[in-house]
Amino acid sequence: MPARSNDLALPTDTEPAIALRGIVKDFPLKRGAAVRALDRLDLEIAHGEFVAILGPSGCGKSTVLRLAAGLEQPTEGEVLVEGRSPAELIRAHRLGVAFQEHALLPWATARNNVALPFRVAGREVDRERVDALLELVGLAGFEDARPRQLSGGMRQRVAIARALALEPDVLLLDEPFGALDAVTRRRMNLELARIWMEQRITTLLVTHDVDEAVLLADRVVVMTGRPGRVLHVQQVEMPHPRGGEVTRDPEFHALVDRLTGMLDDPEPVAATS
Amino acid sequence: MSRVPGAALAPSRGLAAGGVLALLVLVEIVGRLGLAGPGWPPLTDVFGYVAKPSAQQLLGRALTATATAALAGFLLGGVVALLVAVLSALVPATGPGLERLAAVVHAVPLIALGPLLITTAGREATPTLVAALAAGFAVFVAATSALGSANDAQRDVFTVLGAGRASTLLRLQLPAGLPLIVDGLTLAAPAAVLGAVIGEWFGARRGIGVLLVSSMQNVQTDQLWAAALTAAAISLLAYVLLVALRGAVNRRFQ
Ligand SMILES: Nc1ncnc2c1ncn2[C@@H]1O[C@H](COP(=O)(O)OP(=O)(O)O)[C@@H](O)[C@H]1O
Ligand SMILES: [Mg+2]
Repeated sequence: MPARSNDLALPTDTEPAIALRGIVKDFPLKRGAAVRALDRLDLEIAHGEFVAILGPSGCGKSTVLRLAAGLEQPTEGEVLVEGRSPAELIRAHRLGVAFQEHALLPWATARNNVALPFRVAGREVDRERVDALLELVGLAGFEDARPRQLSGGMRQRVAIARALALEPDVLLLDEPFGALDAVTRRRMNLELARIWMEQRITTLLVTHDVDEAVLLADRVVVMTGRPGRVLHVQQVEMPHPRGGEVTRDPEFHALVDRLTGMLDDPEPVAATS
Repeated sequence: MSRVPGAALAPSRGLAAGGVLALLVLVEIVGRLGLAGPGWPPLTDVFGYVAKPSAQQLLGRALTATATAALAGFLLGGVVALLVAVLSALVPATGPGLERLAAVVHAVPLIALGPLLITTAGREATPTLVAALAAGFAVFVAATSALGSANDAQRDVFTVLGAGRASTLLRLQLPAGLPLIVDGLTLAAPAAVLGAVIGEWFGARRGIGVLLVSSMQNVQTDQLWAAALTAAAISLLAYVLLVALRGAVNRRFQ
C-alpha cells in the first residue's frame, strides 16, 4: 500500500481497515414512520482480512455493506474505512464493489467494462492490467464479448474483475453469486478463494449461503433478524488456500451446521439488552 | 419495456402494408362514387394530377421548402432539447424549473405561436421555428426520462467508483438512455413536418402549407389532396428512417 500522509498520528495497521461503531440505521417510511434496519451494530475488519456477513434475508446485511460503501449514511454511529469516511475513499477511487446484480454496461465489451474504473477515475487505461484481470477471473479469450454473450457466472466474474481494477484498499461484495445455480456458485466460490489468495485485499462479503461464508472467510459474522445486530462472530481456523476438498472436511461441516442452526433460531440472543 | 422489439416488426410490416392498401382502395371507392361530395376526389384523379410535369414542379418546390424547414427545425429543436436535458442532468437543481418551462412552452398551441413568430422572427424563419418547437418538446421529454433510465445498481457502481457528474452522464446516462432518446426522435420527426406545414400557413413564400392554403381557397381539389399526400409522405419517410435507426441503436445499446 502506498504511504499516505495521515492526519492522525496512528500507524495504519493498528486501526482496522473497516470500522462500524454503534451503527443505527432507520429507513423512513410513509407518514413519518421509520423502519429500523440496524440497531447498535459494531463490526471491525482488520487489514487483509476476509469477513463474511451471514444472516436471514431482510436482516440488514446489504445495509451494512452499503454503509461501508458510502451509499447510505448511518442514522447514528460512525463508519470508517481505512480510518477515513467512505466518501473520502470513494473520491480517491480506493473502493471496489460487486453486487448480486452484475451492473455491467451492456453496450461495452468485457474489456471495456473492466477498464471502466480507470476511465471514471480519469486515468489512462492500463490495458495489460485489464487483460491480466480477465485472465485472473478465467475469462481470457472473452475480452471482446458483450455481457449479453456471457453466462451469468461469467458476468459476475467480469464484475469482480472490474471491482479489482484499481487495486482497491477494500473489496465489498453483496451476494455476488446469489443469482447463480448451486454448481456454478460453488465453482465461483473456489475461484474467488484463489483470487483472494493472490490479492489479499480486505474483503467484506455479504451472503446468506453458509457454505460460501465458511469456505471463504477468516471470520463469519452472524446477524440477528431485523433490526440487525451482531449475534455471533465465528473465527474460521481452516488454513487458506481452501480448495474443493475442504467441503468434504468434517470440521467444515460441523461449522456449517452450527452456523446454520443460529440462522434458524436467532431469538435467544436477540432478546438480550 | 414498451418498445417494439425489432423481431416482432417483420410480420407486422406485411400487415401494415395490407392495411395501407385497403385504405387506398377505400379512398378510391368513396371518391369514385362521390360518397363524400366533390371535396373527395378518386385517388386515381389525384395521381393523374401528380403525373403532370407542371404539378410535379409545383409539388417538388413545395416539398423541398417544407422538408428543408422540417429538417432544420428537427435538428435545431433536437439539439437544443438535448442540451437542456443534459444541463438539467448536470445541474439537478435546474431540473424541475426547466421541466416546468418546457411544459409551459408546450401548452401554448403552435397555431397561436405562428402569427407571433411571423411578426418577430419573420416569414422565412417561422416554419423552421415552429418545427423546432414541435420536435424539441418531444425530444426534451424523451431525453429527460432517458437520462434517468440507468438502473440503480449501475448508478451505485458509478457512485462507489467515484465517478463525477460529467463522467456518469457520458459513460452511463447517455448510452443507457440512447434507445429512449431515439424513440423521442422517432416521434419528433413527424412533429417537425407538421410544425413546418403549420408554420407555412401563416404566409411563407412556398411550401406544402402554402400549397394547402391556396388550393383550398381556389378549390383545386386534386392539388389539395396531392399536397396533403406529399406532407404525409415526408412524415412517413422521416418516421421510417428513424425506426431503422432505432433498430440499430437497440441492437447496440441494450
Ligand atoms: N432504501 C430503503 N428504504 C426502506 N427500507 C429499506 C431500504 N433498504 C433496506 N430497507 C429495509 O431494511 C431492512 C434490511 O434490508 P437489507 O439490508 O437489504 O437486508 P438483507 O440484505 O439482509 O436482505 C429490510 O427490512 C428492508 O426492507
Ligand atoms: Mg441483501
